[in-house]
Amino acid sequence: MSRLQLRGVGKSYGATKALRHADLDIEAGEVHVLMGSNGSGKSTLSKIVAGSVRPDTGEILLDGKPVSITGPQAARAVGIAIFYQELSLAAHRTVAENICLADLPSRSVFVDRTALEARAAKYIALFDGVTGDDFSPDAVVQDLRADQRQLVEIMKALAGEASVLIFDEATSALDRAQVERFFEILRDLKGQGRSIIFISHRMDEIFAIGDRATVIRDGEIVGSRRIAETTPAEIISMMVGAQEETAVAADAAPARPAGPPVLSVRGLSGPGFSDIGFEVRAGEILGFGGLHGQGQSAVLRALFGANPPTAGSVELGGKPLHPKNPRGTIRQGVAYVSGDRSRDGVVTGRPILENVMPIHYLRERMILASPSALAAKALPALQALRTKFAGLGHPISSLSGGNQQKVVIARWLIDRPAVLLLDDPTKGIDLSAKADLFSLIRRLAGEGMGIVLYASEDAELLDNADRILVFNGGAIRRELTGAARTRFNLYQAAYEAA
Amino acid sequence: MSAVTAFIRQPLVVALILIAVLLWLGETLSPGFASGQQILRLLIVAALLGIVAAGQNLVILGGREGIDLSVGGVVSLSAIIAGNLMAGENGGIPLAILACIVTGAFFGLLNGIGVTLLRIPPLVMTLGMLGVLQGLLVVVRQGIPSGRAAPALADFVSRTFLFGLPGILWLWVVIGLVMAFLLNRTVFGHRIYAIGSNEQAAFMAGVPVKAIRIALFVLSGVFAAIAGICLLGYSGSSFANVGEQYMLASIIAVVFGGTPLSGGKGGYTGTMAGAFLLVILQSILTTVNIDESGRQMVFGATLLVLMLFYGRGRSMRA
Repeated sequence: MSRLQLRGVGKSYGATKALRHADLDIEAGEVHVLMGSNGSGKSTLSKIVAGSVRPDTGEILLDGKPVSITGPQAARAVGIAIFYQELSLAAHRTVAENICLADLPSRSVFVDRTALEARAAKYIALFDGVTGDDFSPDAVVQDLRADQRQLVEIMKALAGEASVLIFDEATSALDRAQVERFFEILRDLKGQGRSIIFISHRMDEIFAIGDRATVIRDGEIVGSRRIAETTPAEIISMMVGAQEETAVAADAAPARPAGPPVLSVRGLSGPGFSDIGFEVRAGEILGFGGLHGQGQSAVLRALFGANPPTAGSVELGGKPLHPKNPRGTIRQGVAYVSGDRSRDGVVTGRPILENVMPIHYLRERMILASPSALAAKALPALQALRTKFAGLGHPISSLSGGNQQKVVIARWLIDRPAVLLLDDPTKGIDLSAKADLFSLIRRLAGEGMGIVLYASEDAELLDNADRILVFNGGAIRRELTGAARTRFNLYQAAYEAA
Repeated sequence: MSAVTAFIRQPLVVALILIAVLLWLGETLSPGFASGQQILRLLIVAALLGIVAAGQNLVILGGREGIDLSVGGVVSLSAIIAGNLMAGENGGIPLAILACIVTGAFFGLLNGIGVTLLRIPPLVMTLGMLGVLQGLLVVVRQGIPSGRAAPALADFVSRTFLFGLPGILWLWVVIGLVMAFLLNRTVFGHRIYAIGSNEQAAFMAGVPVKAIRIALFVLSGVFAAIAGICLLGYSGSSFANVGEQYMLASIIAVVFGGTPLSGGKGGYTGTMAGAFLLVILQSILTTVNIDESGRQMVFGATLLVLMLFYGRGRSMRA
């Protein structure tokens, strides 16, 4: 009998089916790998098991008995622990306290510090020799390096002594020695009969530690394979499925004659990426691909100056560009559109007009803002995107998400930038807005703008990018051009090892 | 919501209705309260508050918990500097005005630098600055008699200047027009709203967030300094902590006028009405013999009640 069984588990967000009728068996004493492209549903599935997302349908059985996982605490109570990708540590508390956070040893109402330290020491000892300098039970978490914080997060998951452990991208910040030790620990846990659900963006890790792999595509479980009996190519074929034919449509996109380079990046490093180098030519749409969070956004934000890079050189139209803040890069002709429009784009509660104008204000060094003169500038920009709005004076919050994003993009159309950085620009917008957006992007490229497009939806990349750079672990792993721009190659490169 | 209810729920309209109600109440309690001469006197007092509130308004509009608790200290210091430089002579007015504005701008600049570059929360920064200013007032006053207002300044504030209105009311009208123009028709104004509404988005659109926030604190110091000069003209001579009451009152006037403490929306027209409203309220409390401590309690309670409205995102949000 399987340790953990999912029967017909489904979850929808609005009209989007994140997971449909998933059946999955996780055995005792196995490392079970979940694989899939962005938005395939693997994170939703692990969150359902961990109790942070409630499924709409289906049941979960633990050792053959149905369990009701109503929340993270309920999951812990039945013996399920999760490593959170987005760090869930208390930054101002010590390593020992964080490890035992879920179940602090206490005497009456007071924390039993002796017991706390003894328990934490047991998990810290597991990583003896690879924790690095200044790592101690008393160290405050926020003073630690990223890899050390990730180790604390792993120790915290281990401290639950759960029978099912979920590790979602748990190795992303670790060095080789730390990963090796982590895998030894996982093998020990396996030997004790525990079950491990493992999600990683690195094929070499999956083949090093996994026993079985289950592939998820568009919210459906495609199939499972024994790792010993399969190959990376077979797994990737399962992830691609029958969609390969549609992807070839990419070749239909006419390869534009490449102009001179507008943006040259060399040796760019910063938080979340290192030694990035590429060129964008005038009239080219360069795609950034790969799994979520492999440095694509971080590179674009660094080039825009929102999170300045720590090293490297950038040239814009042959002139050096030093991205220190958006103000400086905008003046030199860089444009950036964030997918997180409520955080980075929209000035809520203010009129549409004021949301279109800020770039023009800056580039023209304007002082006065006469509404009629501004409207003459704003209207053509909004119309180029077929934005639907009742009046320029209406608050931007009165628009749909897609139209809000069009307003945010329109602000870059009044004074044409030399290069346009698109950071997953279609997140959460409707299909017709997406179509309007991509037709505009192709038109802008046709007019000689250099465009960098990061899209978490692979179809958007394959359909629109002339060339795709695939990111993994903060570095560019592969370049796909011409007929090589296929879903298969994209997924294979996305899982490619360092 | 019908157009009529929408109209009535606008903060400015609410304030104007309350003004009418309070004037009527005052007239009932004490006949002659709402006479033309009396209303003019109330408006002069409201102008003093309104000028301080203009700076407060700007700082609050800029968001990120923006607030200036040091305005009262700047008003007091400015009144004392002006009084001593004028010493009752008209010839001292230009230098006094210049010195006061520079002083106000200086303390505003310190506030702005503390809040933006040193990342000290505005509440803490400006409260600390208030402490510094209060200490400075004690030092400045030691051994020096408080100065007297120049006659021309006293006339400007209290006597008819143009069309039957004293100069300070004209000054207030001009400030009102300048503020409306600044907020609605200049890039600076749009950027104030942008950083108050969504600072991150403003930053990503190339708005110089820190420079603007510093400028807002500088303007707040300058407005407080101007109010200090006018206050000297109103009272004839400057005495310690003459500006103390303006801290709480200026905040209430801004909130009454429809600018929430979270910033990003509202404007100065409402604040002007809020200042007048508050002055009428204060006058009524005086009429019914409630002393200063009682008035302070009413003011504090008023602010809390207003917060209750705004905190719940109720109808008063425009």
